[in-house]
Amino acid sequence: MASRYSICIDIGGTFTDCVVVGGRGLEIHKTASTPPDFEHGFMDALTLAASAEGLKLDEFLRATDTIVHGTTVSTNALVEGRTARVGLICNAGHPDILTLREAPRKRAFDWKLDYPRPFVARNRTCEVRGRFDARGNELEPLHEKDVRDAVTYFKACPVDAVAVSLLWSVIAPDHERRVREIIKELWPEAPVTLGHELNPIPREYRRTISAAIDASLSGIMRAYLERLEGAVREAGFTGSLLVANCIGGMMTVGEIARQPIYSVMSGPTLAPVAAQSLDAAPDMVVIDMGGTTFDVSAIRDGNLIVTTEAPINDDLLGLPKIDVRSVGAGGGSIAWVDAGGLLRIGPESAGADPGPACYGRGGRRPTVTDANLVLGMLDAENFLGGRVALDPAAAKAAIQPLAESLGLALAETAYAIHVTSNENMIAAIEDITVNEGLDPRDSFVVAGGGAIGCHIGEMAQTLGISRFMLPRMAAGLSAHGGLVSDIRGEASATCPTSDREFALGPVNETLSRLRAEGEDFLDRAGVASEARSFSHSFQARYKYQSWEIDVPFDGAPIVETDILSLSAAFHRMHERIYTIKNEADEVEFTTWTVRAVGLRNAMLADRVPAVSTSPAERGSRAVFIGAERAYRNVPVYDIEALAAGAVIDGPAALDSRTTTVFLHSGQRAIIDEAGNCRVDFSLVQATGHA
Amino acid sequence: MSAAGQGPDIDPILMAVLSRRLEAIIREMSNTVMRASRSAVITNARDMSCGILTYDHRLICVEEAMPIHVSALDLTTRPITELFDAIKEGDAFFNNSPYLGVTHHADMTLCVPVFAEGKPLFWVLARSHHADVGAPEPTTYLPFAGTLYQEGVHFPCVRIQEDFHDKEDIVRIGRHKIRSPDVWYGDYRAQVGACRIGERRLKELVERYGIGTVRKFVEAWMDYGERRVMAAIQELPAGTWRHTSTHDPIPGVADTGIPITAEVTVDPKAARITVDLQDNPDCVPGGVNLSEACAKGSGLIGVFYNLDATIPHNAGSAGRIDVRLRDGCVVGRPTFPAGTSVATTNVNDRLINAVQCCFAKMGVPHGLAEGGGDFSSGMGVVSGIDARDGNPVPYVNQFCVGLSGGPGTHGHDGWLTYEAPNGGGVLVLDSIEVDEAQYPILMESRRIAQDTMGAGQWNGAPATAGSYRSLSGDCSVFYCSDGDTNPAAGVFGGHAGTPSGNWRRPSNGEEEPLPSFHEARLSADDAIVYRSVAGGGYGDPHERDPESVAEDANRGWLSVTRAHEVYKVALEKTTNGIDYLVNEADTTKLRER
Repeated sequence: MASRYSICIDIGGTFTDCVVVGGRGLEIHKTASTPPDFEHGFMDALTLAASAEGLKLDEFLRATDTIVHGTTVSTNALVEGRTARVGLICNAGHPDILTLREAPRKRAFDWKLDYPRPFVARNRTCEVRGRFDARGNELEPLHEKDVRDAVTYFKACPVDAVAVSLLWSVIAPDHERRVREIIKELWPEAPVTLGHELNPIPREYRRTISAAIDASLSGIMRAYLERLEGAVREAGFTGSLLVANCIGGMMTVGEIARQPIYSVMSGPTLAPVAAQSLDAAPDMVVIDMGGTTFDVSAIRDGNLIVTTEAPINDDLLGLPKIDVRSVGAGGGSIAWVDAGGLLRIGPESAGADPGPACYGRGGRRPTVTDANLVLGMLDAENFLGGRVALDPAAAKAAIQPLAESLGLALAETAYAIHVTSNENMIAAIEDITVNEGLDPRDSFVVAGGGAIGCHIGEMAQTLGISRFMLPRMAAGLSAHGGLVSDIRGEASATCPTSDREFALGPVNETLSRLRAEGEDFLDRAGVASEARSFSHSFQARYKYQSWEIDVPFDGAPIVETDILSLSAAFHRMHERIYTIKNEADEVEFTTWTVRAVGLRNAMLADRVPAVSTSPAERGSRAVFIGAERAYRNVPVYDIEALAAGAVIDGPAALDSRTTTVFLHSGQRAIIDEAGNCRVDFSLVQATGHA
Repeated sequence: MSAAGQGPDIDPILMAVLSRRLEAIIREMSNTVMRASRSAVITNARDMSCGILTYDHRLICVEEAMPIHVSALDLTTRPITELFDAIKEGDAFFNNSPYLGVTHHADMTLCVPVFAEGKPLFWVLARSHHADVGAPEPTTYLPFAGTLYQEGVHFPCVRIQEDFHDKEDIVRIGRHKIRSPDVWYGDYRAQVGACRIGERRLKELVERYGIGTVRKFVEAWMDYGERRVMAAIQELPAGTWRHTSTHDPIPGVADTGIPITAEVTVDPKAARITVDLQDNPDCVPGGVNLSEACAKGSGLIGVFYNLDATIPHNAGSAGRIDVRLRDGCVVGRPTFPAGTSVATTNVNDRLINAVQCCFAKMGVPHGLAEGGGDFSSGMGVVSGIDARDGNPVPYVNQFCVGLSGGPGTHGHDGWLTYEAPNGGGVLVLDSIEVDEAQYPILMESRRIAQDTMGAGQWNGAPATAGSYRSLSGDCSVFYCSDGDTNPAAGVFGGHAGTPSGNWRRPSNGEEEPLPSFHEARLSADDAIVYRSVAGGGYGDPHERDPESVAEDANRGWLSVTRAHEVYKVALEKTTNGIDYLVNEADTTKLRER
């Protein structure tokens, strides 16, 4: 039987990473991203992977069951403010929900700051009369003329998409639905997001902001996914195409196109998933240095961290999301000198086009990658396995003006860029550890990204971290995560009730509807019935509380005798979280959730041979050693030729087709059975970090 | 000058980790109070704060807390060690007495001692603004209550838990006296949960790092706070400045208003600031006198608002600021049993404004304008009977839907969701849906009010205006609307913001003004209409960037007429007929005049 493949393609601002499992085991391929038409890079990566397998693209795709995709399209659009123009329809009397928010968080004693602008401007917001109360009673009918006027207004502005978010639409969705009908009648091509469909939670700000963000992404994501799916189908792919979402799961292309907000931070969310499969450490910091951004996430007590208050620019995302934080500090980040004479790195990036100066594609401004080349960290002839020839002269020429304005020698300037970039990344690591009161030195660090190997050794020294790992798939950590992650979908619905008068019928109807949605999702994702599993939870609170807690429970349907155990599970969870419970009090259930999981087999137990098949040492090259302020010849190894159990002591450079790891003096690397590079720092003392 | 700054040697990473760890513990405590409580004023508006002190009553750390709740916390824990001999692990102390270190009677405060290796090391504290205190009227703000005997229930620093269990007799006092006893008890239990979480986390911390290291850290942290505040004071000019802000007249309590004066003296050489509040009126026969905790706290707050916000607000930094109070003074140490029901807002907000505006008298770029104070009916305490679901249940709660606007400062407009000087802009604005789900109230409207902000080169923030009504029979709304008469003043040529206001709108739609300090009794056909106070401006509005003026018009905060008259900026429509832009030529002409 011919081998079958699974593929994950993760597109970042600079590189497109493709990890393939099947055939020859686990393989990684990197190509340049191709903004704004990211689908070209996607197809380039597939072509590269097919030829590595000795197959034509159509043969390769026909032998592929699943392609998982992580994409930066929506994240980039939001961060760079290149989203569609949105018009918002809200209730009469409440036009300032997106400005007032829940009162934005600030430091109590700080007045030297500006109040943030709303995601949708006040003059792109239209009020319509019509109102329900909290019990779903219609207090005022919808004034359809207001909606028609709003459409005329939006066309004049103009806007590209409309978000509709009305009070109590989660209980009584009729007005929102009618608003959409009217818009569609007058303006059929306008994308419309309804608050209650996207994010069925009470709290009008969170629902409204998520609807507005979703609407701002709809055109961009739909167009992108149509082009992408068209291209891959035309090339012969018939399997399932899934997109990673922000809650650690996946959705089909159709689902993401309908609710594009779920694609925010789609790729980076897969990095901690990958880390979980690589090591059993309960507490990990997972970092991923791409060309444009540096992403940090954490594993605590073995779990991914989900936040319901994920920030995006000046707002909340409004939906739960895996806590991954991103800063503009990648290999392509541009170095510059500010008005005060201080060296700064990023957030502007040379991206994929033109890329760093040393790529020789017209980039003239100095990047972190250029500095690493000048420092000898990177091998000009052997970068990305020799597929990209780097131009040291171009790197030097780009850095020279900076050296002059700083009054430093060229190598010193390159080193200053390298170290400043380290400090930016360290600050991001501290944000998710120290700022949460956690000592980074207690965590095991999993480091991903093609460029991270040049930096992690010195960053670890500064932070006092003693152990870190560069996975074999470091250059495509998120893409690797897309292959090991289970296929996950989640559906929720509001069905309010209480343990005093439990609405058994409606709750069971809700649960069976959600279950059916989950089955449909797994059908579309091509998951076999024996690989399916479902889990259930409810959100509940004591009467008069306003914040629910999430409580898992065993299966549906619920029968009369289960109701007591649902309350008991709530009391236990409340005590676990808050140390208190009030068993005499009424419990209110609000939202019901079914999670559908398609289990993937652990197919990645790919072993590295215990005996080396080819010589690993490749001579030496001159690398600038910061501590000595001088170049020094260090031995160079081919990391792919190292056998399991191989031990290399720093200083040394370890090159592979996708990355370079630089070991500092006192650092010892050990190759584990899966080919991951584990570095132990215990030979030297932490120098401390001021 | 003492040699501050040479603290015990501690690894800088450990210093950062431990200080952040304590902040994270407080965040976890605060989160527990907010999420596990029952009253909307706590769970939505976050009118609560948590803190950690050393066992000898030195404030270590506060995080995301309301400034007025936490700036004099030592006064709250001190009575415990003065009143009790055998303080043990498992004890918890409950206190809402303004004469025993609490801010005002609604800020019921739970304090728990934290022991490690048998020694008492810390106090953890959770302070929540309870929705009811069993006062004669269903409100927690009683401007006409001249004495403590008119305020409802007091727990004068009592032991409410022993061996980690509630003392049922003490709890019974609260349940007996307070309206909606289940809600009160649920709110109290959330404080217990928060303090026990704080206790557990601190014990874990001591176990992990050892008592010696933690003690060393505390001293180093206090020194760091002191070093930081000294450096900030040394950058200020030397001198003495005074500013007066006058609270609105309260009929029968202070018929001509209450002028509050602060005198701030900066001595950069000694790195000390003195805030003298002694030259102020005596206590008034009403509930607006300050407690000592408020008077001392607000003296500090007005100073800290003008210093770098990243300075730790701990005993080390506060030790460089001397707040001078007088016995029997409206902003000092009140004479028992003078009424202090409204101690945290009204006169207190005037006091903070007076202190912060002294800094504006140092000259540009120092200081702040006056911020809008509390509290119109947009922050009203509402009570009635909820009969929506058949079974009638009484309710009482403070809604926080209409926050006042913040002061302009050099380089920045005022903060929109400011609330009042006492709150530091950390109060959360109520979610309309959460309010409406829990209480039979319809929030008809809430919007930013046009042409209200104090004009300036940097504007004060605009007022918020709105209306609400009962969906279940009659209701009563209590409020104390300071700012209806005396608005928030501007500085350096900045204008005052508009005053606040309160109106009744019966079914015929004809709004009628309501008194400023009032209980409005509304029938189901009546709506109450509110407008909060807008912040004062900083600098001359003619100097405001015309692009910012256009933006204000585009967001509906400013009319074209006022842009022209007050800012001397001419606006015109763009081609879509909707958006405004600056007419450069006409603006130049206007501004030349």
